[in-house]
Amino acid sequence: MKKLFTAASAALLIASCTSDLSSLNENSKAPVQVPAGTLIANATVDLSDYLASVNVNLNNFTLWSQHWTQTTYTDESNYDYNQRDVNGNTFDELYANVLRDLQDAKGLIEADDGLLPQVQANQLAIADLLQVYTYHVLVDIHNDVPYSEALGDVEADPTLITPKYDAASGIYTNLVARILAAHGTLAGDNGLGSFDLIYGGDANAWKKFAASLALKLAVRAADVDPTAQTVAETAAGAGVFTSSADNASMSYTSSPPHTNPLWESLVQSGRTDFCASNTIAGIMNGLVDPRRGVYFRNLDSLGDLMGGVYGQNSAYNTHSQPGDAVEAPTLAAHLMSYSEVSFLLADAAQRGWNVVGTAGEHYANGVNASMAQWGVSGTDAATYLAQTTVAYDASVWKERIGVQKWLAMYMRGNEAYNTVRTYDYPAMNIADVAQRPVPNRMSYGVDEYSLNTTNVEAANGGSDDDTDKVFWDVN
Amino acid sequence: MKRRANLFALAIATFFSFSALAQNVTGVVSDAASGEPVPSVSVKEKGTNNAAITNFDGKYSIKVGDNAVLVFSSMGYASEEGTVTGNTLDVSLTTSSNKLDEVVITAFGISRDKKSIGYAVQEVGGAEVSKVKDANFMSSLSGKVAGVNIRQSGTMGGSANVVIRGYSSLTGNNQALFVVDGIPISNAITNTSDQQTGRGGYDYGNAAMDINPEDIDKVSVLKGAAATALYGSRASNGVILITTKKGSAKKGLGISIGSGITVGTFNPSTFVRYQNEYGQGYGPYYGPDTINGVWTEGKMTEYDVDGDGVMDIADPTGDDASYGMRFDPNLQKYGWNSLFPELSTYGQSQAHVAGANDPTTFWETAVTTNNSVAVDGGSENSTFRVSATQFRTSGISPNSSLKRNNFSFSGSQNLSDRLTVSTTANYINQSAQGRMGTGYSNKNPNQSFRQWYNVGVDMQEQKSAYEATGKNLSWNAYGYGAANPTAPHYFDNPYFMSYENYSNDSRDRIMGNIMTNYKINDWLDFMGRASVDTYSAIEEERQAFGGVDVPGYVRRNRTVSETNIDLVLTANKNFGDFSFNGNLGSNVRRNAVSSISAGTNGGLVVPGVYALSNSTNAPAAPSENAYQVGVNGLFARASLGYKDYLYVDLTGRNDVSSTLPTANNSFFYPSATLALVFSELLDVDAIDFGKFRANYAMVGADAPAQALANAYNMGTPFGSANLASAPNTDANSGLIPESTVSTELGLEMMLFDNRVGFDLSYYDQTSSNQIMPARVSSTTGSIFKYVNAGVINNAGIEASINLTPVRSKDFEWNINVNYTRNRSQVVSLFEGAENLQLAGVQGGITIEARPGQAYGVIYGTSHERDAEGHPIVYDNVTYSGGRGGGVRYLRGEKDVLGDINPDWYGGLNNSFRYKNWTASALLDMQWGGSFFSLDTYYGYATGVYDLTAGNNADGNPIRNSIYDPAYQVHGNGGAGGLKMTGVSYWDGSVDANGDNDYSNNTVDVDANGDALYGDMSFYSNVLGYSRGVGEYHVWDASYIKLREVALQYSVPSNLLGQTGIKGLDISLVGRNLAILWKANPYSDPEAGLSAGNIQGNQSGAYPSVREVGVKVNLKF
Repeated sequence: MKKLFTAASAALLIASCTSDLSSLNENSKAPVQVPAGTLIANATVDLSDYLASVNVNLNNFTLWSQHWTQTTYTDESNYDYNQRDVNGNTFDELYANVLRDLQDAKGLIEADDGLLPQVQANQLAIADLLQVYTYHVLVDIHNDVPYSEALGDVEADPTLITPKYDAASGIYTNLVARILAAHGTLAGDNGLGSFDLIYGGDANAWKKFAASLALKLAVRAADVDPTAQTVAETAAGAGVFTSSADNASMSYTSSPPHTNPLWESLVQSGRTDFCASNTIAGIMNGLVDPRRGVYFRNLDSLGDLMGGVYGQNSAYNTHSQPGDAVEAPTLAAHLMSYSEVSFLLADAAQRGWNVVGTAGEHYANGVNASMAQWGVSGTDAATYLAQTTVAYDASVWKERIGVQKWLAMYMRGNEAYNTVRTYDYPAMNIADVAQRPVPNRMSYGVDEYSLNTTNVEAANGGSDDDTDKVFWDVN
Repeated sequence: MKRRANLFALAIATFFSFSALAQNVTGVVSDAASGEPVPSVSVKEKGTNNAAITNFDGKYSIKVGDNAVLVFSSMGYASEEGTVTGNTLDVSLTTSSNKLDEVVITAFGISRDKKSIGYAVQEVGGAEVSKVKDANFMSSLSGKVAGVNIRQSGTMGGSANVVIRGYSSLTGNNQALFVVDGIPISNAITNTSDQQTGRGGYDYGNAAMDINPEDIDKVSVLKGAAATALYGSRASNGVILITTKKGSAKKGLGISIGSGITVGTFNPSTFVRYQNEYGQGYGPYYGPDTINGVWTEGKMTEYDVDGDGVMDIADPTGDDASYGMRFDPNLQKYGWNSLFPELSTYGQSQAHVAGANDPTTFWETAVTTNNSVAVDGGSENSTFRVSATQFRTSGISPNSSLKRNNFSFSGSQNLSDRLTVSTTANYINQSAQGRMGTGYSNKNPNQSFRQWYNVGVDMQEQKSAYEATGKNLSWNAYGYGAANPTAPHYFDNPYFMSYENYSNDSRDRIMGNIMTNYKINDWLDFMGRASVDTYSAIEEERQAFGGVDVPGYVRRNRTVSETNIDLVLTANKNFGDFSFNGNLGSNVRRNAVSSISAGTNGGLVVPGVYALSNSTNAPAAPSENAYQVGVNGLFARASLGYKDYLYVDLTGRNDVSSTLPTANNSFFYPSATLALVFSELLDVDAIDFGKFRANYAMVGADAPAQALANAYNMGTPFGSANLASAPNTDANSGLIPESTVSTELGLEMMLFDNRVGFDLSYYDQTSSNQIMPARVSSTTGSIFKYVNAGVINNAGIEASINLTPVRSKDFEWNINVNYTRNRSQVVSLFEGAENLQLAGVQGGITIEARPGQAYGVIYGTSHERDAEGHPIVYDNVTYSGGRGGGVRYLRGEKDVLGDINPDWYGGLNNSFRYKNWTASALLDMQWGGSFFSLDTYYGYATGVYDLTAGNNADGNPIRNSIYDPAYQVHGNGGAGGLKMTGVSYWDGSVDANGDNDYSNNTVDVDANGDALYGDMSFYSNVLGYSRGVGEYHVWDASYIKLREVALQYSVPSNLLGQTGIKGLDISLVGRNLAILWKANPYSDPEAGLSAGNIQGNQSGAYPSVREVGVKVNLKF
């Protein structure tokens, strides 16, 4: 009995000892450190997926730009984005997925002593450029957004749990500075290799991207920022895209999960949610646009688009539907294209800024690059451009650039929507059920109001109406 | 040291204190009504700890002093006292609802006099649990225990949510801890978060449902924290303590056989009531208004089906709504069944009428069988019991079945006077096929039946189409004019779905323990026990070729284990008027979970082969998880008693947990309880028993596993590039333990010869420093972050009342009432955060914890209301096509729309015994609480429900357009719309600040004094999701249900005579027979998706099932 008592006492003592339990809590299935390239690659995929998506929960801008309308469930065509928390989802996707992965990547690159200094600098520059790109997307959607206090180390500074909103114009200024810094750094090989899903490790290609992005931000802010001309001229002089070979694009794979997200929404889902809107049908039919049969299928006997009244129900079978080319799983998604850059240069030249070439030349380059991208022959493109309704006309430059850039930005909903806001062309229809015009911005999601209340309420001078305009949209 | 009779029953460890004893007394205890022997009766010498237990034959033997008084007590019987006058003392016990003067089981299987306990314990006998069986035995507790809220999710074998005294953890586990014979068993809910938030998936049940009700001897519910400090943190949610049946010493073997069959049918009052006036489609935009001379209002498709050059009229079969053309038996049209060459109706037109058989005919009769056999026996030094039970059930959904086999063994052996070893072992095998899909998924037929459906479909024709061809001939094929007319668009044929896209799952489980008891001396015992609960489970899900979704296969494997090693010293000693009873113990717990989930990618190569290797594209990397939790605990308990009326308990426990940072991983928590049996101090005849109790307890708690350090998620490579992403939930290396503080006051009384008894409790429990993944602004780079924050309080009252209005030898009537009123309040959250999202569900609704509100409020778009509370309406625009017009609701701010918590809930059980007959009926009720219905949110928009058709107050069809004269010309338009009452009309005026000005508002009429109408002419109507308001679809969840009815006849032993049969019971049972009252018209207010913290959301709710059965129990 005594033995047993002793044994029991011993056992009680053993149990009371704090053996090293903490090792039980380690995660054996997920690493605490990864190669930075895996994070950059993932952020690139997430960013590209967001931009290419037509998922109604995430990106409604192909609808807002009235390229498409919805067949049966017309809520998003009528600018109801709060019910599905599209604004909240946009924040979650771009901040917590794209920007966060890039932020972690930058930390890992900085801490990696094994990298050659130039390679390290290149990788930091690329991660930074992708962050800049992402922030400009956010600003263009919402105007003021959290920037200087976003993505902070919350354990070190608990106040960063509620990042303040920065003025949109200030963010743009800072973004331009970051682009120019990155541009100054980039040279040679970036060492990312296949992790660089856009340029396959070529730092010089990123350098062109940086210059083109600076041009884009400058032209966008042309009406409000006195430094825009200098920035645009510097950028254009530093070497922007000169052909579609320079495009910043993601080539998707033919099998899931890394197909173009359009394929998921249009083909894999088996759904028939979208058709051409009467807005794009009216314009393309009027211009006898040769891209009609590529952008859409199910044209009428005259080769004209059958567009559904924007915002109203439209039977799928009896209207033009997104085209076969758009349904290809491997369809490349563009972050920036030569066509887009050409229209930016046209705008800059039209303003009398010192960029090589005339507005008309750049405009024609923009149209032709788009035609070529969608497989239209040079002859057909020339015929199209020769029409008086298409040929460049400086007296109606906003209409010309607006309409053609809007058409060229097909399947780039964010940029098509930006184009409409920039030029106020082409004219948009009133959404039929909501009976309201296109919003000028997207208001903030409900989560920000419950989680970051004070800051979001102070944003944009305290006004969060989607009829308010973003800072660069003054004319 | 005297010899002791070691009649050992595992969880009933009784304590003996033998002093000089004079004589041996033996006897038989029998049931006063049936004359049958009663086993397991506690026989105790009054005023001492000297006790014995009757064996299977009701016999006992005890050594007592002169003139001893023996107290006989057993679950469900009134206690009897008898004075020893010779060597034998036989007694007969009458059944009673008196549950006070009893022995109850507490932590570590320590049995104690109930009167000495200073916290709330309520017991339910095994017969009560197995009487009217459910696949999930937990459901059988509903309404039977105060303070316990049970909600059943409604699918075959689905999970049951068991929450005691409210939700005390904001994001953690709130389910009660289940302990079987001292073994804490896994009650994991492994349903995916998509499943729990209504985005589709199967409810695979919860793991505690493996417990076999046939093996249950009794269930003790320990409700408060004080009751459970000895089990550690997990017990702060309350403990359901289950003691299984054991063998007992007897001559020969005891054999019992039970067999039952139950049939279940769906309850129409919990399902959709369909309109039968309008056909398929969303509105007037498919074809031309007039097709081949027939006015179709644009609601039909134009297509030359027969190729005669003349356009024909066809249903827009690709759409999944019933906002189409008005039915007209004289109109010939082509529908879904015209599309398929396999059918005799191919190319045939038919009359445009409502389907002859609606989806109510989809539900089948469910059949449940239960067969069990148990054998037990024993000798002076050993006992054993073995049992086997097979349970089979089929759901009301086609091709659904579940079976469970339970095998159990328990045995004990006295190795010496001092040393006893015992063991229990259970093997459980459960498998299911064709579980009923839940939520917003094509695999849940209710998604279509309740939300997206064409009432023109004859469901039985869908059935015969599938049965004849084995193919997916869906009512929702793309239809005429589409690229692929016969392929399904949104919905599969529901029979194809049931028979081809089915899931299966199985779980193999072993639970058992080995225990040694050593009697060190006459006041000190040592117990050492090792227990294990481990299972491996597989879930397989299929998607066949030819369906809406990509063909595919997903499998999940999971192994789970928990081991516990407990060492406990127990002391038991009396000092004059004082008694001492205490424990010193240690507990070493280790949990391990390992799982892998993988699926095919992009389709299957060969149809019908469900294997990962049959994937069209390389499968994505499987999702693997592995985690372990280790907790080392030390505890002590001391119970001091003074005479027979005052008892004080003190407990303390220290845990060291692996899930907390090393610096903060040790935490101590104490409790104190007081019990005063004041009836011993009074001499009032009417008061048989009275006790006041009070307690205070603290409980600490650790963190979830792996919450301290971030780790990256590895993704499926993009080409040759590997991908990794930062976690969306940010870890926190500085977490500290959670803390719960509770106080409880209670009063138990038995009055008037035990005719009236009640047990009242008041409790107040506050949990703070809660560890939770708080939703944070995603601009921080994370969507959630682990924090120590949040305070939640639950306070409530519980009442359990027992009445015996009639008690005689032949007839007895007992009434048992259980009542619970819990109030939860979220006191604070993280850094002043305004809300904690528990879940975002569809319909723009979130289930939230918000400071100042109850836990689990339903938050979403509210009605804008005027000062009097009327919802505000305003002029709706008229859009092209003549739709719209009238008024629509003004959407207000997002606001709290409801609350998942009932105001109160309870049960009322009446039971009657007349000679050998017993009958009982249990009413189970809930008052208050609410839920959001995605079913009506969408279903009103798609025109499926009866409420979307018919005539308005003016006698015109409400689906007619309100104004447009173009539609009146054809006799089917005009003056329609839903007449709106109780609403306030706003003319659109605004004040100087641009804010809405309601000062000119008029109630029920517009500015001209005309009545208000809301457009119901197509899917964008005034009620449904498109134009409506979320608040409109939040329903009152109150109900009164006839939960259980049972009628039992025990064949008298004189009739059984020489058959060798010792007992024969025959019973008729019914379960969920009727909902006597509820507020919502179309569903069971109890229906949910899964157990867990996300309640209050109905999406594709299943109708409830009425069960009626017969059961026979035989004893040899």
